[in-house]
This record gives sequence, C-alpha cells and structure tokens, in this order.
Amino acid sequence: MELIPLLMFVVVCATLVAGYPVAFTLAGVALIFALIGMATGTFNGQDLTFIPNRLFGIVGNQSLMAVPLFVFMGVMLEKSRVAENLLTSMARLMGPLPGGLGIAIIVVGALLAASTGIVGATVVTMGLLALPSMLRLGYKPELASGLICATGTLGQIIPPSIALVLLGDVISTSYQQAQLKMGLWSTTTVSVGDLFVGALIPGLVLVGLYILYMLGHALIRPQDAPAVDRAALGEEHGPLLGQLISGLLPPLLLIFLVLGSILTGKATPTEAAGVGAFGALLLALAKRQLSLTTLQEVMRATVRVTAMVFMILIGASIFSLVFRGFGGEEAVHLLFENIPGGVFGATLLVMALIFLLGFILDFIEITFVVVPIVAPVLLAMGVDPIWLGVMIALNLQTSFLTPPFGFALFYLRGVAPEGVATMQIYKGVIPFILIQLLMLGVLAFWPALATWLPAQIYAQ
Amino acid sequence: MDTAHRILHRLDRFSLAFGHLVAWLALALVLLTSLIVLLRYAFGFGSIAMQEAQLYLHGSLFMLGIAYTLRCDEHVRVDIFYRRFSHRGRAWVDLLGTLLFLLPLCVLILVTCFDYVVVSWQRQEGSADAGGLPYVYVLKTLLLIMPALLAVQAVAEALRAALKLRNPSEPDADKPAEEGSAWN
Repeated sequence: MELIPLLMFVVVCATLVAGYPVAFTLAGVALIFALIGMATGTFNGQDLTFIPNRLFGIVGNQSLMAVPLFVFMGVMLEKSRVAENLLTSMARLMGPLPGGLGIAIIVVGALLAASTGIVGATVVTMGLLALPSMLRLGYKPELASGLICATGTLGQIIPPSIALVLLGDVISTSYQQAQLKMGLWSTTTVSVGDLFVGALIPGLVLVGLYILYMLGHALIRPQDAPAVDRAALGEEHGPLLGQLISGLLPPLLLIFLVLGSILTGKATPTEAAGVGAFGALLLALAKRQLSLTTLQEVMRATVRVTAMVFMILIGASIFSLVFRGFGGEEAVHLLFENIPGGVFGATLLVMALIFLLGFILDFIEITFVVVPIVAPVLLAMGVDPIWLGVMIALNLQTSFLTPPFGFALFYLRGVAPEGVATMQIYKGVIPFILIQLLMLGVLAFWPALATWLPAQIYAQ
Repeated sequence: MDTAHRILHRLDRFSLAFGHLVAWLALALVLLTSLIVLLRYAFGFGSIAMQEAQLYLHGSLFMLGIAYTLRCDEHVRVDIFYRRFSHRGRAWVDLLGTLLFLLPLCVLILVTCFDYVVVSWQRQEGSADAGGLPYVYVLKTLLLIMPALLAVQAVAEALRAALKLRNPSEPDADKPAEEGSAWN
C-alpha cells in the first residue's frame, strides 16, 4: 500500500524526463493514478472534489501576488538596459584593482540578483556583455565563466527574489500544518518577509566569500585576472563620475527602496514589489527606453512567466492531492522516523534529495512538489522554518551550478563564445561550488546566521 | 491552406490575441498596487474593495494567461533529452502529452469545478469581508474559463504535432522572438 505513493513519484520523475511541460505532466500522471486507483478501489474518488477549493485557494493567495509584480520589475529593468549600464560603470570603477573586473561582475551580479531575481536573465546578460571583454582583457576563460555562472545564481538567495516569495509561501503553510499536527493550536507564523530577512545575511556573506576568492586568486595568480587600465574600459562613455551617477545610482536607490521597506516592516512584499515595478517603469521612462513596443513586451513576458509559475502550482497541488489520497504523507513520515540520526539525518536526506532533484527540476517545481511533502515533517521534528527555507534556497543554488546538469551552465553555454570549451566552464565553477558547500556547512552549524536578523526585527 | 491548417491558424490566432489583451492586466496591477501604497502611506487611506480588486486582477492575469503561455511554448519542460530529440520525436512527445495529460486535465478541472461555480452564481456570492467586492462568483468563474481556454489551445497543439508527424517540414509554433524565455 505504501508503495503506490513511491511509485507515483518515480513514474512522475521518469515521465518528466520525456520533456512534456512539467505542470501538465504532474497533474496528468496524478489523474491517471487516481483513475486506476478508483477502478481498483485503492483511491477514494471523493478526494478529487477538493480540487475547486484548492484551485480557488491559489487564485486568492495574497502573498503570491508579489510574483507578477517582481517579474514586471525584473523584465522592465532588463529591457531598459539598466543592467548594461550597471556593468559598464562598475567595470570602469573597479577595473584597475587586481581582479577588479571580476569583483565588478560579482557586485553587479548581486545587484541584478536583488533587482530581478531571475537566474537565466542574469547569466545571459552578463555572459553576453562581460564574458567577451573579460577574455579580451586577459582573464582566464575558466575563471571568467565560473564567476559569471556563480554570480548569476545569486538571484535565488538574495532578497527580494521571486524564488524566496514562492518558497516563503510554501514554508509558511507547512509550518502551520506542522504545528497543528503537534497539537499546538495557538500557532506562530512565518511570512515571505521573514524569509527575505533571514536570507539577507547568508546572501551577503556568500557575496563576500566570492569577492574574497576573486581577490585571493588575483593576488596569487595575477596572470589569470589582470588589473585593467581604465582607459581600456569605455572612455567613450564620458567622465567616470557622471556615468556612475547615471548608471549606478537609480537602480541602487530602487533596490534599497524595495528591500528597505520590506526589512523595516513598513511594507509587505507585495506593496514593495508594486512600488519596485512602478519605479522600474519610471526609470525606463526617464532613460527614454520605454516605447509602446517595449511596454507590451514587458507586460506579455510578465503574463507568460506568471502563468507558467501558477500552472505549475496548479499541477503540483493536484499531484499532492492524489499523493495524499494514496497515503503518501504517512509514508514520508514513516520513512523519516526510521532514518538513523534523527533530525540531523532527516534534514541531510532532504537536502541530498533536493540537490539531486535540482539537476532535472527547477526552483518552482521543487518548491511546489517536494517542499510541501517534506517540510511539514521536518518542521514537526523541530527544525526552524526560516533556517530550513534559507538552507533549501542555498542548496538549490548550488545544485544549479553543478556540472553536468546545472541550469546556470546551460545558459552560459548558450551565449558563451565558441572559443570557450564546455570543459572550461565546468572547471571554472568548481571553486564556487566549494564556496557554496562551505556556506551550507557554515549555515548548518550556525543557524543564527539566518535566524538572528528576523529575531531582532521581531523584537522591536 | 487545407482545412487542418486553417483550423490550427484560427485557434493559434485566438490564443495569441486573447493573451495580448490579458497582458494589459499586468500594467493595471502595477498601477493599482502603487496607488494603494500611495493612498495608504501618504493619506492613511485603505480600502478593502481596492485590495480585492488587486487580487481579482492578479488572479485573472495568470488564469487567463495559461493558454496563451501554452501557445508560446513557455510552460517549462525538463528538456535535457527533449531538445536532443528529432523533430519527429518531439512531435510524438507533444501529441501524446496533450492527449494523455493535458486534455484529460482540462476535463477534470471542468467537471470537478462546475457545480462549485454554479452554486456560487446561484448565491451571487460576495466578499466575506465588509466593504469587499460582491463579485466572488465572477472570480470563481475563472476556474471554468481557464480549462476551457486551455482545452482550445490543447487541441491546436495536438493538431500541430499531428501535422508535424505527417509532414516533417511543418514549422514549430513561433515563439515570441523578442523575449526568449524570461524565467531562468
């Protein structure tokens, strides 16, 4: 009996690999299992009558309203070439330092991550804009491509990110369930905003580690990351100060406005996202980059990304409905109770599972399919919800970097010059994977890195 | 153009035109959210009706956009193998997936949600909050419109895949060229 949920999971993974859209495959496989189950008397058809309530719950979910707004903001910033200006002005500022160009990439990547939160867009933008000039200026191909891949994935972890909005919503629901199961009726809650706050310090530490590595590498092997004369970096853009003010200041202000209003608790993520989207619109207007065509492109891309995300949520919720109907939840629970090593063993197992699934599924699918199944069990065992959320985000980020399946590597391969071998990209990301693993270890031993700041803000 | 192509063309055009219309909801959502924030922080004014309108816009934006997204082939796939398949191989995946997964899913949602929506219309269900919008039954109708639109485009996709299997030189659905995939 317990085997059916396991079989469901295996079948769905095997079917997904065929390449039909994930959302429809999840729901379709579940439906086929439900029909067979009803025919053989192992599944109660009544369970399917929960579908309308589930779906309407998705339509009415307040905290996910931030998704289309953040997408709008990100796509608008990308289309209005804010990213491009950021990159050229930062490169001119930092270029003369040892490894300076690389550090500029990290800083811009972190800023882009904070403003768009879209991994593919960041990797592709920087791969197109920065990689050719880094190579031309004498950077080692391995180092340059590894750096761009790693920096691109920061979009997952640095708030405000769309990934954290989705994860925060799922963790929050799981936390409620876990507490009810433990018999606690006066439940405490975690919100999307809490997860943003929790991810801030780990995200910044990670950026710091990247920069340290870059600096260290440049000092030990200067030939891999030469300092660049400022004259080689776009004198045609006029004086440096002017370019910094026009290229760097507006997006920085926007990011601080959005992030600051969330961190200080003045605004909900949705409100902040709305203001951010409006700010991006004004910025594009001020830079004379906003035509009717651009606006339509941005709006249409927003609809497609949002519809894609929510369709996965719909497919995943139908999948989990059937999964539960077959007793899947009890099966997972039973499994976890029999893992040696208690909470630690169970957490380690979940992290390993998520890391492996990160090779074939992306953030949204894992968040909506895997996390709702495993998180309530872990949380009921006493794991801190914010810490768990940040660990999952960090873990997936690492997974997206890992050869040969990491998503970030595919994106860079798609835009990198022919002269850069795939093997060089793979080699280049290794140091960054080690940094990621180090960070995961550090966070595992000092959960306070994620939980301290939210507690401080709560205390006020 | 033969009949099959004419039908495919019509269905495609419908989904695209509808999606382009729905896209304006994104701008409306941004403007309304900003207005809500402005009124709240500058004038201390809050309105439940406006917040619900925001939710209605958001819900409509994605529920009405799902079929359009299918037309643009932007529902994520696990494409490790798919992108290496031959033209025919991909057509088979799309045809079987549409017939076995997508169309049954549309039917499932339509069947299970029908009574739910009808009851809501009969009651002219309104907001649970005082001062909220009295149109919950309209919002709930999205649960039927979404699968209906999706089924229309699913028929188009099945037709496209079948045409590809018959004639290998049949083109793919043209992706929106200017954007590429915006997510990931």
